[in-house]
Amino acid sequence: MNSKLKIKRYLIATFMIFALLPSATLAAEINIDTKNPELKTGEQFTTAIFLSTDEGINALEGQIVFPPDLLELKEVQDGDSIINFWLEKPRIDSPGKIIFSGITPGGFQGNSGLLFSMTFQTKQSGNGTITSQNVKALKNDGVGTPIEITLPNFQFSISKEVAVVIPAQKEDYEPPEMFLPEVTHDKNIFDDKWFLVFATQDKDSGIDHYEVKESRQRLFSVFDKWVSAESPHIISDQELRSYVFIKAIDKAGNARVFKVNPKSPLMWYENYENWTIIIVGAFAVLFVTKKLWRKKRT
Amino acid sequence: MVTFPYHNKSIIAAVFLISLALLSGSVYASNQEASTSGTGPVCGNGVVESGEQCDAGGSNAACPAACSASCAINSCGGGGASGGGGYFAPSETKVIFSGRAYPGSRVTLLKDAQITAQTVADSAANFRISISGLSTGSYIFGVYSEDNQGRRSSLLTFPTSVTFGVAIEIGSIFITPTIAIDKSQVKHGENIAIFGQSTPEANITVSINSEEEFFGQIIADANGAYLYNFDTAKLVVGQHLTKSKAATGGVVSSFGKAVNFTVGAKTVLAQSPALPAKGDFNHDSRVNLIDFSITAYWYKRVNPPASIDLNGDGKVDLIDFSIMAFNWTG
Repeated sequence: MNSKLKIKRYLIATFMIFALLPSATLAAEINIDTKNPELKTGEQFTTAIFLSTDEGINALEGQIVFPPDLLELKEVQDGDSIINFWLEKPRIDSPGKIIFSGITPGGFQGNSGLLFSMTFQTKQSGNGTITSQNVKALKNDGVGTPIEITLPNFQFSISKEVAVVIPAQKEDYEPPEMFLPEVTHDKNIFDDKWFLVFATQDKDSGIDHYEVKESRQRLFSVFDKWVSAESPHIISDQELRSYVFIKAIDKAGNARVFKVNPKSPLMWYENYENWTIIIVGAFAVLFVTKKLWRKKRT
Repeated sequence: MVTFPYHNKSIIAAVFLISLALLSGSVYASNQEASTSGTGPVCGNGVVESGEQCDAGGSNAACPAACSASCAINSCGGGGASGGGGYFAPSETKVIFSGRAYPGSRVTLLKDAQITAQTVADSAANFRISISGLSTGSYIFGVYSEDNQGRRSSLLTFPTSVTFGVAIEIGSIFITPTIAIDKSQVKHGENIAIFGQSTPEANITVSINSEEEFFGQIIADANGAYLYNFDTAKLVVGQHLTKSKAATGGVVSSFGKAVNFTVGAKTVLAQSPALPAKGDFNHDSRVNLIDFSITAYWYKRVNPPASIDLNGDGKVDLIDFSIMAFNWTG
């Protein structure tokens, strides 16, 4: 009886372990997905990376590995990502390896949250696999507890049939999202110098890059050149007497410009553009007056 | 004396006024999207702010637009119940958030982790925030509130897919209760007071995590405040944590932030006000893009300052960012 009871208990325990196993291992999953795994040589296709999780995840990093002899990465799109701030924007780190890391404040919990997508072009026929590896996902629990994550592969095959390449036409007429840049300083970085922070997203094509310019003049700032910048960006005018302009440009070329007013603006008489306007205005008034006076006399 | 015809005087005046306008910078400002911290509501920026009934960004206009140029809701047409001839504005792209926080509390809405709108809950703790002028795409919205003592709730997030011309309503949001304790260390056998704020008359469940988890229940007062005294004689000496959740009208919140306390040989009162949240490096009572930038500067660099290394492991890595993301305020 005892042995039967032991076997019964063993079977129940085993059943319970296996019954609970799926929910434990499927806590989080990264999926690599595309419409069609049957490809032709020279064909362009897009693959998206999705996160599904039962628990809130607020930080994620990892690698996507693909066979570089079969595929050429043409573009990475992160415009509609659930990642709000990238530490490492998805980029090629070495042949066949894309790295990424970023955070979602407050955490993401749900199914099929898009991380980013990649457009590849096939090079030659063959079978291959796109895999994710060294993925670390951290819980939104205040201490960064690692969460177990499953990483299914994506398998594809490329036939010898040559595809007719039709470049994908993307329509993106929307500028990047609104954002609020800030000028600040902190003893922990840049030797306590003033710096600019900014970040935004573009829901269609994604942010391509940012540009910054500083000018003590309001009107004549149009003559100053934009320079590429990344956040955080050290302010050139540490006296904070300049207007700081930040331009976010998406991959379709749409731009949104913001201006941060100077904390210590020039007095009106210190700004030469005001004097220029006064003098030009005075000359204009004088010229018109003189012309009208002559007209009156004749 | 020279006199000019009326239209000539106008020309001179126009030249003079244009010069003045250029000097004041008003012409220039209209060509830029100015953005500075600490400014009031901006009608036309697509964000419904304090004092605005609506804001559809560039779509603000007279009827048939739903939102006027002064950010007030247009009353278009008057068909009424009988229908005939009334104009019905098409749905605009917007997301509406509503739920319960704390009476008179400030509720903050984040869009992709940055503050996009704030409102104040009414005396019954109800709140409603609407934002429009959104692009089609996926957003992570976040909502949190602060109680009457400045304590913050957890940040609740809502991944949302926005479609052009569709209004989405995310309702029944129940902000988690705030929580605090009167002692950071309590002498074994003495009481510890666990308190905070939720909605009026909410049923508060307090959890004390130990080897064995203890639960207590108490009803919040008319202002949503609750106080639960727990006898630590039930606990073993060591570290413990407590958290709370609320239930009212059949809706239950999730558990809010957890606070730690120690049961030991002596009693140490908790600090008031509480220390800045982990990740608030510049001590501005916010954990936001500035703090992210400071941390990002030290990402994978050697010898980071101890204040930046949030878990004290001698490096700034993904774990430090996860801790900061948990305490995020925007």
